[in-house]
Amino acid sequence: MSAEADSTAHVATRVYKPPMGAGWWTRKRHYFLYMVREFTALPMALWLLWFLIEIQRAGGGVKTYRPGASTAFVIFSVICLLFALYHSVTFLSLAGVIIRIKALDRPVPPRAIVVTMFGLWLVASIVIGAVLIGFGR
Amino acid sequence: MTDKRITIRAARFDPEKDKAPHPQSYDIPFSDDSMVVLDALNYIKAHVDGSLSYRWSCRMGICGSCGMMVNGTPKLTCAAFLRDYWPGPVTVAPLTNFPIVRDLVVDMEDFMHKLKSVKPWIIRKQEMPLGAGEHHQTMDQIDDFRQFSQCINCMLCYAACPVYGLDNDFLGPAAIALARRYNLDSRDQGTKIRLPVLAQSDGVWECSFVGECSVVCPKGVDPAKAIQQTKLDTTLRFVLPYGNRE
Amino acid sequence: MDFESYDVLVVGGGLAGIRAAIAVVEANPRLKIGMVSKVYPMRSHTVSAEGGAAAVLRPEDSYETHAFDTIKGSDYLADQDVVEAFVREAPIELIQMEHWGCPWSRDPDGKISARPFGGMTTWRTCFAADKTGFHMLHTVFQTSLKYPQIHRHDEAFVTKLLVDNGRCEGVVAVDMRSGRFEAITAKSVILATGGLGRVYAFTTNGNICTGDGMTLAYRAGVGLKDMEMVQFHPTGLPYTGILITEAVRGEGGYLLNKDGERFLKRYVPNKMELGPRDIISRAMVTEFEEGRGFEGPHGKFMHLDVRHLGEAAIDRKLPFMRELGREFVGIDIVKDPIPVRPVQHYMMGGVDADISGVTPLPGLYAAGECANVGLNGGNRLGSNSLSECLVFGAAAGRAAAEYSSSAKAVSSNPIEAMLKDERARIEAGYLDKKGGEERIGTIREEMQRDMDAGAGVFRTRESLEKLTKQLGALRERFTNIKIEDSSRTFNTELTAALELDFMLEVADTITYSALAREESRGAHSRRDFPERDDAKFLKHTIAFRTDEIAPRLEYRDVRITNFKPQARTY
Repeated sequence: MSAEADSTAHVATRVYKPPMGAGWWTRKRHYFLYMVREFTALPMALWLLWFLIEIQRAGGGVKTYRPGASTAFVIFSVICLLFALYHSVTFLSLAGVIIRIKALDRPVPPRAIVVTMFGLWLVASIVIGAVLIGFGR
Repeated sequence: MTDKRITIRAARFDPEKDKAPHPQSYDIPFSDDSMVVLDALNYIKAHVDGSLSYRWSCRMGICGSCGMMVNGTPKLTCAAFLRDYWPGPVTVAPLTNFPIVRDLVVDMEDFMHKLKSVKPWIIRKQEMPLGAGEHHQTMDQIDDFRQFSQCINCMLCYAACPVYGLDNDFLGPAAIALARRYNLDSRDQGTKIRLPVLAQSDGVWECSFVGECSVVCPKGVDPAKAIQQTKLDTTLRFVLPYGNRE
Repeated sequence: MDFESYDVLVVGGGLAGIRAAIAVVEANPRLKIGMVSKVYPMRSHTVSAEGGAAAVLRPEDSYETHAFDTIKGSDYLADQDVVEAFVREAPIELIQMEHWGCPWSRDPDGKISARPFGGMTTWRTCFAADKTGFHMLHTVFQTSLKYPQIHRHDEAFVTKLLVDNGRCEGVVAVDMRSGRFEAITAKSVILATGGLGRVYAFTTNGNICTGDGMTLAYRAGVGLKDMEMVQFHPTGLPYTGILITEAVRGEGGYLLNKDGERFLKRYVPNKMELGPRDIISRAMVTEFEEGRGFEGPHGKFMHLDVRHLGEAAIDRKLPFMRELGREFVGIDIVKDPIPVRPVQHYMMGGVDADISGVTPLPGLYAAGECANVGLNGGNRLGSNSLSECLVFGAAAGRAAAEYSSSAKAVSSNPIEAMLKDERARIEAGYLDKKGGEERIGTIREEMQRDMDAGAGVFRTRESLEKLTKQLGALRERFTNIKIEDSSRTFNTELTAALELDFMLEVADTITYSALAREESRGAHSRRDFPERDDAKFLKHTIAFRTDEIAPRLEYRDVRITNFKPQARTY
């Protein structure tokens, strides 16, 4: 229902939509680090698959399983551990800002939450580690 | 005072003539240490090339009009000092991830639509009559949402967000921060009503926490925080019994 | 031919305009409302207002004191019946804003807080930190989104009012995105286009404040009232002109000259830094002229000192000022004094409108800074303007709604012809213009410098007569401008030229009105007539457009009710 003066009606306005391009994350350090963080999902997934294979092998008993033979797995595990730590640190650092808790009507400062999160992580790691090693023996 | 000069490379695009944007260089006097990129653009328009088109108004970082890419980073050109880019050249381009209408002017309609979609107004079950005076609210209660109320709608966060670039349907940082502003306002009772828009797949869940939005925000709104908080909030509402209360 | 047609059309998307649109919906939800703005509403210059909005909210305050403060502040040029109605409506509007979500700063008991402000005898300026205009604009704009009755035309530049058979029936606007000329018709039109600071070189105003609505009305035969009354705010940052809010003084800041003296004790000994803006600006300029100002690369300045307030108070009450200081001057106001000088800020003058925003042209209303309803007279008190936008925006909305509910529909034949003519005028004069040697920017900058010199804080017959000649010459040169932008898509050179055309015309109304007012009253200060002359000039100046450059001036008595004009000392 919009009105315009007729004739010399001018062409409909065209906009230009710039294409994003696959290399968008190479141009800024922050984007690159983000992609690394997201990429860590891939080695984690691969590690889990490999881990399942190792479990299956271990299930075969002392005959088929020789931990020493799997140095490749150990090396790969260490690499994956580094990736996992990177992801975990960024994620846990976030907890302080995301979680809003009020104790006694005052907001709990972010630092306290982050320290608590890392603390809980440490505790969980120790507990799980102890369980696994304990059962392993 | 030496006669300093600086080169500005501005993106030009006239849909009536051009297939795509192309840069045009302007060599202008850098006459004062307080000059900002916007001053440079204004000098060009007034004294060199009147056809350069861009938006601006307040020149003090509160109206949100003058957002552009300066050397690849989204900035308010009224607060981007030339001395920080010296000796240049300074590349000025329209905000990334938006359709370009002309030169340094982008299409804002998608953004406006998204702002409206989160119902950014006080929603109450029962309106209080004016004669009853104001709702009581403390400064602590205002502190809860103050940060998210500082958004000037400059869209730098959308330009910085690669998710928005890859998927234009993403609700986006500013819209979600605005929704959170109202959700946290003690006078508002509309969180449940805003939930469908926020919890949809193009809503908060599209965000993968790149975090660049908060880095570029000129007002310290921290939209990334608003989004992650909203994710937690919507999840708890889904998971906890009686979680979806108003 | 079909035209976009509304019951009420609001021109301008700032605080007054949006408030008016919402008021129309509230008065009659069946009306269809259009809102046309040359920028997206969040960019309207309301957004930069900082200090606060005044209203009688506390039991110890009274309508009478607010009215008296305003009338005395106006140097008795205000229409007192308007002021008395205003002070009664303002509190309701501020509560309404609170209900709509405005984050007013609070007292410990949870009620809306108030701060001291210039010219106010009690604390009645409500505030949202020091970004009151920002919060108010975003509140009304976001609230307006919930009304489907309001249809916005963003980034459409109005070039002319459509007047037929003595009635205003809409506007011609250029859609900036497409370059299309559109006639938007309506049974009534509300002008809410803001101020005209950009006719001056040193102003707090943003780029968009070019007096569009005032000139539109002027060209349609409506008078512009009290155009000589231009407010200079005492504290602008040198070079940029960025506003440092009066709230800084309200919270206890000191103004110091180069000798470290709180010099205002010699000018407004009772109110000191909380005197009215016109007197303080004159005081500062006088101090400069007598050699007691600091010298800087961008002119003389004074120090505004808040160091004694302490970091906690500054961060609580003046956080935006700290941000501005850091960002634009490289100082920390907690540790450094702020350099400030008088800067053009507000226009008391404007479209001749009454208490309900009704102008002499049937179907045309005006509200906000672009209107002169008689509230501010010769000088506006700080924090009255944000309340003014709400009160008179709402009043104009209601009046326009009532008018439109029973007005006849607009007939389209004359509209079609007017649209064609207007398009031809702009195409011939601007878009299709060939040749020309003058740059728009050059003419604009000269006009701004000339206005600063000729019609600034202090005026003389010589400075004003010289200014009329300068403006005349600039108008001549304007006919010879060159347009480099031939595109129809988002042509901001066209809008810059149209704005300059508006500004040159409205600048003349300021100059001639100032020349004719041979007295000093409020912000209008004549060195050759330093006294107030109630016998001759207790009247409003109304400027009407003629075929020559000089407007025809008429005078209308000020309406006095309860407050007899007295000497104005603080």
